[in-house]
Parts: sequence; C-alpha cells; structure tokens
Amino acid sequence: MRVMSAVSAFTAAAVLALAVPVLAHHSFAAEYDANKPVTLKGTVSRIEWTNPHARFYVDVKEPDGTASTWNLELASPNVLVRNGWTRKSLNIGDEITVQGSMAKDGSKMANARMVTLANGKRVFAGSAGGPEGDPGAPAQPATGRQ
Amino acid sequence: MNLRNILAATAIATMAAPVVAQRNENPPAAPTSPAGSGGLTTGRGRGPQAPQGPAPKLPDGRPDFSGVWQVAGPVGDLAQGMPKGTAIPLNDAGKALMTSRESKDDPEANCLPTGVPRVAPYPMRMLQTPTHIFMLFEGNIHSYRQIFLDGRKHPDDPDPTWYGHSIGHYEGQTLVVDTIGFNDKFWFDFRGHPHSEKLHTVERYTRSNLGTLVVETTIDDPTYYTKPFTVTFNGRLRPTEELMEYICQENEQDSRHIKGPAGTP
Repeated sequence: MRVMSAVSAFTAAAVLALAVPVLAHHSFAAEYDANKPVTLKGTVSRIEWTNPHARFYVDVKEPDGTASTWNLELASPNVLVRNGWTRKSLNIGDEITVQGSMAKDGSKMANARMVTLANGKRVFAGSAGGPEGDPGAPAQPATGRQ
Repeated sequence: MNLRNILAATAIATMAAPVVAQRNENPPAAPTSPAGSGGLTTGRGRGPQAPQGPAPKLPDGRPDFSGVWQVAGPVGDLAQGMPKGTAIPLNDAGKALMTSRESKDDPEANCLPTGVPRVAPYPMRMLQTPTHIFMLFEGNIHSYRQIFLDGRKHPDDPDPTWYGHSIGHYEGQTLVVDTIGFNDKFWFDFRGHPHSEKLHTVERYTRSNLGTLVVETTIDDPTYYTKPFTVTFNGRLRPTEELMEYICQENEQDSRHIKGPAGTP
C-alpha cells in the first residue's frame, strides 16, 4: 500500500532549507520536488545497476487498489560502491519501503532517499540522499562519500 | 506550532540531508604516501579523507600533480567560486541567455562533457609527463583533457571543441594552462552560466599541500561578461581511489523528466 504523507508548511520549509542536491549529473531540484515526499511499500521487480544512476522498480498497490510500478533513482553505481554497497544489496523480490522525493512531472518516479527491507535493515543509506551516519547503515564502509 | 510538527520537521529535515558534491569536505587524516607518488596507493578507497603533508615535487623540482582528485571545479553554481561579496559580471546578453535556458537542456544532464572549468561530481586523475598533462575524467563522460607542455602555441583558428586547445607551463610550483578553441555548447553549471566560442580560460593549478589542489580559473568572454573574472575551487586528493567506469549514456532517463528554467544549483 502506498502512503503519501502530507507535510505542513513548516516541515516543507525545513526540507527545503536542508535538502541539497543529490550527487548527480543533473540538478536535483530540476527533476525532483523536495516538497513532495513519498513513501512506497512494495516488491522490487527490477534493478538496473547502470549509469548515470542505479535504478530499481517497485510494484505497489495504489490507494485506489490498482497496481503500478514506480521507478526509483539512486546515486550512480560508482557512488554506491564507494559507500560500500553492491549490486546485490537489493534483490528482485525484496519487500521494501522506500522514502523519497517525487518527480516534478508527476510520473511514477522518485529519488530514493531511504530504502528499508522487510527485516528493518536499511540499504543504500548514506549514498542516495540518505542521512549521514544513519544508524541503519551497515557497520562496514559507508564512509566513502562523495 | 505544536510538538508534533516540530518532531516531524526534525525527522524530515534529518532524512533530507543528502549526498552532495561537497561531501568531500572531510576532516583530514592519514593515509600518507611518499612524496613524488602523487599520494597514490592502490586499491579502492573507502576513506575519502584528504591526507596532510607537504605538496610533493618531481625529481626535477617541478610540482607533482599526479593523483586522483575530487571536484576541482564548479558543479552546481559557478558563483560559488567567486570571492565573497562579488558577483559574476554577466552582461545583458549573458543574463538574457541564462534566463532563457531550461534545465532539461543542460548538456551535462544529457551526458555531454562539462567543458572548462565545470567538473562532474566524480573523480578525475591527473596524469603528468614532461610533455603532456592528461586529466582523465570518470564523469561526465569518461572523457579527458590534454594539455601540451612542449612549448607549442595555439593554432591560429582551432576548430571549436568541448575542452578546447590547452597549452601549459610551470611558474614555480604552479601549473598555468591557457585554453582557447572552445565550442559554445557546454554550460558552466546547473544554473546555465553561458559562454561563447570567444571563451578564453587561464587556469592556475597549485597543490597547496599533499591533499589539496587549488584551481584558479580566469574566465574571459566578452560576448557574455563585462570583464574577465576569476573563480577558485579546491580539489581533494583521494589517495586510495581509482577511477571507475561511468558511461552516462547507458541509461540516461533524467533529461526527459526535468522541468523548468535553469537557475537552481
């Protein structure tokens, strides 16, 4: 089930003030809206370990009951690898919860900020817009930030 | 404002603290490496700390720039390299062109090269020989610059290219690179600061210590600027880093989703 959280003007302002562009070959703000956070819960159906961005696709059930597939953008594989993640950190079939920022153009696309597996483990934290020093990050690496 | 709002704001703000090019602002620490090696060790690094120590020199006393460097130029906003309290001296034509630009048209977003002095938020290796310096870029787009150190002059009428024609010489511990022959296709940053084929850059590279590369670039383009101006950006040595493949064209999906005017870093 997909849950879209409404944020108050205050929280939106806080996000704006602190959201800085994700390491990318394009302007974060030109593609994604930090004022439109989205939380998606579903099943990973495809993973693209490619440049300029790694991507994964999540099959979710929309609030109206229909099924849809969302396209989630991560940092580049290079950045993810330098942060200690691998192409196997996330796998097809994984049940996950993703928090991210929606694409400005309204397509079913978002920049993934935090990915949480069903067992509570976070992946790609500290690399695709995730928080620095994320307690959910693995003990290994996660320090080689760009 | 109630407590719940404050908590929510804090949580969201914390989550929104993202990965940025400026993440290389790490506290300096080991590792160190022998002078003359460019501070390089083998293996892929996890620790991006810029090492401390004196800037290494080549056996002939010239500065040694070899190594893998991170972000020695503007990524999002050229103005970040200006001296505090000063503005980029755009003329009316420059302002008009910049205002008309849309983010989706940024060549870098479309997997084209950064030009000069812009850099991608990915590492670059400087490779130094007595006659050439090569800058090997991981992104954007796994391309390179070549700088001639053999005393040749610029051609009279070079064909315009993304990186132009670069000749360099040493002034003490500084490498000075003079470049003309640019095309007018790249942007200086996400904001769309423009230039024409008349662009002439003079870059001064100085390794202020083992871990820091100071790059001062004087930009002269009378087509869009009222006077020459100089931007300064620092690169950080990544002593344990190696370049990785970055073929931006492989799966570029962003440009068709990008909306709105350029102008946001």
